[in-house]
Amino acid sequence: MAAPAQLGLQNAASPIMEELIAFHDHALMIIFLISSLVLYIISLMLTTKLTHTSTMNAQEIEMIWTILPAMILIMIALPSLRILYMTDEFNKPYLTLKAIGHQWYWSYEYSDYEDLAFDSYIMPTYFLEPGEFRLLEVDNRTTLPMEADIRVLISSQDVLHSWAVPSLGVKTDAIPGRLNQAMVASMRPGLYYGQCSEICGSNHSFMPIVLEFIYFQDFEVWASYLYIV
Amino acid sequence: MLRHIFGQVKKHPSLIPLFVFIGAEGGGATLYLLRLALFNPDVCWDKKNNPEPWNKLGPNDQYKFYSVNVDYSKLKKERPNF
Repeated sequence: MAAPAQLGLQNAASPIMEELIAFHDHALMIIFLISSLVLYIISLMLTTKLTHTSTMNAQEIEMIWTILPAMILIMIALPSLRILYMTDEFNKPYLTLKAIGHQWYWSYEYSDYEDLAFDSYIMPTYFLEPGEFRLLEVDNRTTLPMEADIRVLISSQDVLHSWAVPSLGVKTDAIPGRLNQAMVASMRPGLYYGQCSEICGSNHSFMPIVLEFIYFQDFEVWASYLYIV
Repeated sequence: MLRHIFGQVKKHPSLIPLFVFIGAEGGGATLYLLRLALFNPDVCWDKKNNPEPWNKLGPNDQYKFYSVNVDYSKLKKERPNF
């Protein structure tokens, strides 16, 4: 989850998010360089006593400021397209999870196991234990195995929602009548928080998502325990 | 029209990179659109002979323009035939 007053991206928990963070740093550095160059040139132009009033024939500089921005744009576009195609890849998922948005909670179904499904409501503030996060905790966390490719099928039962977990680089719209597919994979165990990202009514800000990634053996124990109950 | 453009280019050679980049970008966009129209299995041109090409996907064909990690020629078909 985000630290207080955090401006940057959250720490990556999946390989895709690492790529996104690296690309973001690359593009942001280019933006900072161009902006500081432009600001410096503006300050030079505003503080000079020299003037030039005749039309200039400036072929060389025109060539430079056509070719250089084109090169910069290509340098931004190629990694961007690579990541775009990478996020679209699906490599033999180990598990399939259905995340269905409702007003105003998420329900999860693990159809690979028989009858494993539950709803995930927000934990109201007056029920929180010390140390828990306001507006981010849920009653039933979505438990998943780490280091496994998981296919998440996202849909909605009423209005538009969006299933987003920033640490894993996932944000996929939940559209009624449509199944959207996203791949989720975490490299380490932990809790990853997200919030509904498409306006869906009065409690749109109060339907968070908590993914709990645990070791593989513990996940099998959890799934069998819920299945029996 | 073209002669007029050549005259301008001779007087202002800095127009050459402009034409090159805009031409490459426009040509690239057109070629990609053509590729999508002709090779994308979601597109149906011939309703009589090939009405639903999205039902005839092979496990080893790559339909995307660029594949980063997945080598489609090495995949195996794991589903039953209809």
